[in-house]
Amino acid sequence: MKKQLIELRVNGESCELAVEPQRTLLEVLREDLGLTGAKEACGTGECGACTVLIDGKPILSCLTLAIEAQGKEITTIEGLAKAGELHPLQKAFIQYGAIQCGYCASGMILNAKSILDENPKPSREEILKGLEGNLCRCTGYNKILDAVMAASIGKD
Amino acid sequence: MRIPKFEYFRPLSIEDGCSLLYKHKTEAKILAGGTDLFVKMKKKQILPRVVISLKGVQELDRIEWDDREGLKIGSLVTHEALVNHPIVREKFDFLSEACFKIGTRQVRNMGTLVGNLCNASPSSDASAPLLVLETKLKLVHLYGERTIPLQEFFIGPFQTALDPQEIVVEVQIPKPAPSTAGSYQYLHKASSVGETLVGAAVLLTMDPKDSTCQEARIGLSSVASTPIRAKAAERTLKGKRLEEKIIREAAQVASDETQPRSRPWYRREMSRVLVERAILQAMEKIR
Repeated sequence: MKKQLIELRVNGESCELAVEPQRTLLEVLREDLGLTGAKEACGTGECGACTVLIDGKPILSCLTLAIEAQGKEITTIEGLAKAGELHPLQKAFIQYGAIQCGYCASGMILNAKSILDENPKPSREEILKGLEGNLCRCTGYNKILDAVMAASIGKD
Repeated sequence: MRIPKFEYFRPLSIEDGCSLLYKHKTEAKILAGGTDLFVKMKKKQILPRVVISLKGVQELDRIEWDDREGLKIGSLVTHEALVNHPIVREKFDFLSEACFKIGTRQVRNMGTLVGNLCNASPSSDASAPLLVLETKLKLVHLYGERTIPLQEFFIGPFQTALDPQEIVVEVQIPKPAPSTAGSYQYLHKASSVGETLVGAAVLLTMDPKDSTCQEARIGLSSVASTPIRAKAAERTLKGKRLEEKIIREAAQVASDETQPRSRPWYRREMSRVLVERAILQAMEKIR
């Protein structure tokens, strides 16, 4: 199929690129833009490893066409740290041992960010429900919940 | 996993969408949220040559409430939008709760109610509440339109009455009668996406004077080849004072009306339990 010229806005910067319509946002982020923070695991929308934020909302980049992400603000894990300083959630994930193999971490942290942006002081149950679409096979989730709780309290 | 190649169209109006569909017929698929379509394409279960995205048709991304006509939900409205919408939460709380149960946070942000109905899974969560609300769907094609009850839309597991040249543009939910409340109760599998094992929705209208049941509707998902209404159980309740014995009887009748395709004993038992719970909760809300 013919390539189409598209403009994406990723982590505050605009870029132009030519893509075929069937290519997913995940493929374009990783292969064309070199942003390998978002991961592919299941490829079918069940694991959440490919989660990125579009206009602040968590979505599955493995089931989103790159051409349909035009005109929107895309945030990947690479865009969270500001001026070399890690985001409070990233710091909390390190501090609480919420990262082991790291494969789920970028999606987990971005989804957690959207949860806290919506509700700065969620309960542990609300965080658990919010993160239901992000699978982690290492931590057993408790450390992740501890980290998000700590980052939410830290916002006060 | 890659999505196989296709030709992409992004019409800006329903009419343009219909003419593209008319031109490409069965070779084309409609894209709304993509959470079902792209999974099927990646698994090569379907291989459309053409994908027509509705995302450019702004009028489809609307939730409208009218005091006479009720609620209208366009085909780009996501589950998340229904979970958060103040009027849906107020007037159709059990539908909003069912939408909150669907998929995951990410899936709810992408997937649409209409897409979920078009997928026609027997376990679709929104379908039981929508069935008891006597929901209709507006379908359009290049040369006209028709409106059909949701119940007639589901014709089998993952099969609908949608013609290949038609697009579902709107879900229409009539305004509930006074003294009416609904409840949705479910059990789900312990899996990543937690597919519903049994879903039971009940809508009751009570007579405020003598507290008899004026109208009862019971909808069940995941217990037959399509989501169903349990009409015999509804008749058990109608016109009666809802005492414990009648409620138990109706729940048993509803359970007998199910035709589960797998784990039949468990699904029947749980249908009975969940219908009873849903009746009690709906009564509680009216009080």
